[in-house]
Amino acid sequence: MSGGVFMHILRRAARSLWENLYLNAVATGVIAAALLLVGVTLTIQHNLSALVDSWDRDVHISAYFHHDVPEARRFDKRDQVAQDPRVVAVRYISEADAQAWLLERTSRLEGVLEELGPAALPASLEITLSAEAGTPGEVAGFATDLEDPDLEFIDFGQEWVEHFNAFLSLLELLAAVLGSLIFLAAVFLVINTVNLVVFNRRDELEVQKLVGATNSTITAPFLLEGLIQGLVGGGLALVGLWTVHRLVVVRLQIALGLHMAGDLAALSALWLFGLVLAGAVLGVLAAWLAVARFLSRAP
Amino acid sequence: MIRLYHVTKRYGDVDALHDVSVHVEKGAFVYVTGPSGAGKSTMLKMLYGAVRPTEGKLLVGGVDVSAIPRRNMYKLRRNIGVVFQDFKLIARRNVAENVGLALEVLGTPREEISRRVKAVLGVVGLKGRGHEYPPTLSGGEQQRVAVARAIINDPSILLADEPTGNLDGAMAIEVMEILQAINLRGTTVMVATHDAALMQRFPYRVLRFRGGRLVRA
Repeated sequence: MSGGVFMHILRRAARSLWENLYLNAVATGVIAAALLLVGVTLTIQHNLSALVDSWDRDVHISAYFHHDVPEARRFDKRDQVAQDPRVVAVRYISEADAQAWLLERTSRLEGVLEELGPAALPASLEITLSAEAGTPGEVAGFATDLEDPDLEFIDFGQEWVEHFNAFLSLLELLAAVLGSLIFLAAVFLVINTVNLVVFNRRDELEVQKLVGATNSTITAPFLLEGLIQGLVGGGLALVGLWTVHRLVVVRLQIALGLHMAGDLAALSALWLFGLVLAGAVLGVLAAWLAVARFLSRAP
Repeated sequence: MIRLYHVTKRYGDVDALHDVSVHVEKGAFVYVTGPSGAGKSTMLKMLYGAVRPTEGKLLVGGVDVSAIPRRNMYKLRRNIGVVFQDFKLIARRNVAENVGLALEVLGTPREEISRRVKAVLGVVGLKGRGHEYPPTLSGGEQQRVAVARAIINDPSILLADEPTGNLDGAMAIEVMEILQAINLRGTTVMVATHDAALMQRFPYRVLRFRGGRLVRA
């Protein structure tokens, strides 16, 4: 491509952007809205995954002793559990320790607990598993291995974690489907918007063909416009994501008093770059499809 | 310059052109005439590659047009100027931009475009009117702008499809005089028209069509 043709393409793109300001703004807005929705979906999914990962990394199991088990046997059990390579830490909590812990948090229960006596809460072992042993399957296996007549109940929240994992998988699937649909809808919307720009300029494009313009000379300004729309749309989506993160989500978290308010993560720089790149691809793809459609029908 | 060998163009069951064979020499001025639907426009459209023959062979400057892939049609069109009855000017571009478009798409430097636009506007009698916009011009002036655009890159063939169809008598004569002048510079000119008076005033070879058939060559 000669420098003259390149300059022609730049001039055409700049002029078209200016002359079709409204339509170009609509196309850019559609790209921005679509990417913002995809970005919000990704952020939610990213945070939920991070949350579950943190639970998986730090799995706690509580094993409760029968009241009549002598303390020496309880210590033996603790030492036996500590030998297991899957265990990172194990702590023995006596009935008195458990009662003190509960009273520390809910002083209103003091009278009730005094009436029930020192055996109100059972003694237990608080076991922390390694990250490798933190998957739902591994945890269930460990709980089975732990079973002992001295133990009355083993609580590892397996059902809840499994349900949540299943819910998360469903959510990921929904996010992927929703993200794809949004992206597809954006492609169609942007194609239609660019179609309007092409329709607006069809007389000029027909004349360009008649005077000997190559298809690439006709297409290139539109691709450049699409690229600019995509990049600006991607940039606007990032601003939108930042705004949502700063103003809406964090405030909501604080308002609801959830502990993860401070931990809420934004998407990584790589994801954000990917989002802008997706905008650029979307803009260029839509422009290319719209112009290719025109060129296939032009004389 | 232009050779057609048994060319037929068929739309469904209808022959827009039927078994047409003709030869137009380099530098000739030729009318393509006949009633509406005779095949005049189809003939011209074939020459600049807008439609392809269903049968037969069509050579322009020795090149078989029907063998040129669509994506390479621009090569043919850079050597052919086309003028239409409805001018096909871009309303939001001024006269200079409309005329310079044919050079702009070739990547010609702006200074060169500006120089040649001025020169060609002088040829069609629109010197100093480059800054005006098509809707502000008369029909004859608009057609002269279209002619200027068609000849700015010195094509060897100029095709004009009913170039005076939208113009009154005096304007039509002005445009024909310009086409005649262009032909005198060596450009092969082919004009589709059904204006008998004009053909009498500017007498040249006539290709007469009727019902898609060439009845006089």
